[in-house]
Amino acid sequence: METAAGDDQMEEPLLTCRNVSKHFGALAAVNNLSVKVKAGEVLGIGGPNGAGKTTLFEAISGLNPASSGEIIFQGRDITRLPPDAVCHAGIARTYQLNAGFDSMSVRDNVRVAAYFGRRNRRIPGFRFGSDSDAQVREALELVGLADKGDELTGRLPVVDRKLLMLAGALASNPKLLLMDEPVGGLNPKEIDLVMEVTRRIVGRGITIILIEHVMRFLVQLSDRVLIMHHGEKIYEGSPQGLVHDRNVVDVYLGEGASQRLGALMQQVSA
Amino acid sequence: MPTRRDLLILAVLVALAALIPLVTGMRYIVTQATLFFIWAIVVTQWNLVLGVGGIFSLAQMALFAVGAYSTAMLGYYFELPMLLAMPIAALVTVLVSTLVGAACLRLKGPYVALLTLAVAQMLYLLITNDTACFTNPPSGCMPFFGGVRGFTRFGDLGFRELLGGKWYVAHFYVGLFLLALAVLFSLAIIRGPMGLAFQALRDNPGCAMSRGVSKFKYQLWLFALSAFFTGLAGSFYAINFAAIGPTVFSISLLLFLMSMIVVGGIGTIWGPLLGALILMLTDEAMREFGDWRDIGLGLILAGFVIFLPRGLMGLPVARLPRLSGRRRAD
Repeated sequence: METAAGDDQMEEPLLTCRNVSKHFGALAAVNNLSVKVKAGEVLGIGGPNGAGKTTLFEAISGLNPASSGEIIFQGRDITRLPPDAVCHAGIARTYQLNAGFDSMSVRDNVRVAAYFGRRNRRIPGFRFGSDSDAQVREALELVGLADKGDELTGRLPVVDRKLLMLAGALASNPKLLLMDEPVGGLNPKEIDLVMEVTRRIVGRGITIILIEHVMRFLVQLSDRVLIMHHGEKIYEGSPQGLVHDRNVVDVYLGEGASQRLGALMQQVSA
Repeated sequence: MPTRRDLLILAVLVALAALIPLVTGMRYIVTQATLFFIWAIVVTQWNLVLGVGGIFSLAQMALFAVGAYSTAMLGYYFELPMLLAMPIAALVTVLVSTLVGAACLRLKGPYVALLTLAVAQMLYLLITNDTACFTNPPSGCMPFFGGVRGFTRFGDLGFRELLGGKWYVAHFYVGLFLLALAVLFSLAIIRGPMGLAFQALRDNPGCAMSRGVSKFKYQLWLFALSAFFTGLAGSFYAINFAAIGPTVFSISLLLFLMSMIVVGGIGTIWGPLLGALILMLTDEAMREFGDWRDIGLGLILAGFVIFLPRGLMGLPVARLPRLSGRRRAD
C-alpha cells in the first residue's frame, strides 16, 4: 500500500512513474523504475549511454509505450495513450537528434504545435487564425528565434535547431517539458545560451525533466538528479550529493570528472 | 488558406477556359473539354488522397461510380430531379468513402492499395453478376444495379429542353464551375491546417504525432472530404452522358487517371490539372493508332516514373516559389 505524501510532505506529484519497465525481447531497457516529479521542479537525468534514459522519454511520450508499470500525469493514467493524446494532456518533448519538419519554414514548424498541440481538434479547420499566429510568435521570441521565422528548417545550424525544437514544444503549451540532450554537440557559448533559455522556461512555471551528458548543464539547472544505469535508478537526490556517491563516481562520472564537477558546484554556490 | 496568387492563377485559368465555346464552333472540342473537366475534378481530389495524404488508395473510380450510380438510381427509381440528386449522390459517396477509409486507413501503404482495389472489384462484381430482374420495364429485364447494361433515361438538368441542340455548351459551363470549386477545395486543404499536418507527417511522423497530429484522424477526414467532389464528378458524368454502366470500373481508365497525376506532379496543386490536359491531348493524338494508344500511354507513364518521378511540376522551371503545392519557406 502506498503511504502517500506522508514523510516527505510532497504534494500530489505532477508526474508519477510507478514500476515502469520497457523490454525489447530479453533486454530490459528500463527496469522497474519509479520516480515522482512535482510541479515546478526540474529533474535532471544522467547516466551512461544505453542506460534507458531516452527509452523512458519514449514511454512517457507514448511513442513507444511501457511494457509494464504505470505513468500517471495530473492524476490521470497516460501509460497507454497515443503520442498525440499525451501532447494534448500537456506533455511536450524535444529530441536528441535534430527532429523537426525539414521542408517547412521555422514559423510553420512551430505552427504545427501551436495549432494541433494545444487541444484535440475533432474537426479540421481551413485556416489557422490569428491566435495561433500570436502563439507561434511568442514561442519563437522565448527561445530567441523571432527574426528567423522565414528560414528553412533543414538549413538551420545545430544550435538553432535545438532552440527550434524547444519553441515547437513550448507552442503546444505544455505543463511538463521533456528535454532530451538539449545541449548535446554544442560549444560552451551555445550551451550557455540554451541554459539561459531553459531558465526562462523554468521561470514560466513549466516543469522540466531533462536528459543531459554535459554535467555542468545538468547540475546547474536541476533541483534533483536521477542517475540511471542498465535501466535502473542508481542515484536520486541533490546535484551536490552526486559527486560524493561512490556508485555514481564508479559507474558514470569517474574520479577526475567528479572532482572537477565538485569544484564547479562550489564555485557556483560561492 | 489559399494565397492570393493561387486564386489569381485559378481565376485566369477559368476565364480562359470559359472562352472555349465562344471561339470554336466544334461540338467535339467542347464536349471533350467537358470530359476533361470531369477527369480533372477526379484527379485533383485523388491527388489530395495520394499525394498530400500519402494514402495509396485505388478506390477513386469506385467512389466516382458510387456518385454516378447513386444519381442514376435516384432518378430512375424515385424520379428525383437531377439538381437534387447531385448533392445527395455526393453525400452518399462521402458516406461510402468514410466506411472504406475506416476499414483501410489503419493498414500500411501497399495493403491500403490492395484493400481499396478489392473494394472496387467487389462493387464491380456486385453490379455485373446480379442478373435477377428487379423491375421489368418495356426495354427488358432490369437488375437492381442495372447489370452490365447500366442505366439510361434517368433524367437530366433540363438543358436539352431549354437549349435544344446546344445543351452541351451549358454542360461545359457546369463542368467548369464544378472543377473551379474542386480546385478551390484542394487549395484550401493543401494551404490550410490539413496540408500542414500531412507535410509534418511526411517530414517526421514521430515528431508530428508528439506535436498533437493524429495521422489516422486526418487521413480519414481527407479521405471522406475528397470523396464529395469525386462523387459529384461521377454524378455529373452520368448526367452528361445520360448513361452509366460498369465500364467506369475499368483498370485502364484507373491507370489513365493515375498517369495524369504522375505526369503532372504528385502532391502539387496544379500538376494534376496539367497532367490531365496533357494526357487527354496525347490520347487524342494517338486516337488513330488503335492498340498502339494503350502502349503509348504505358510508355509515357513508365518514362515519367523513371526519369521524372516528380512530374512536370518537378522540373526546375516549374519550381518557382509557391507555384508548386508543397509549402516552402519563401
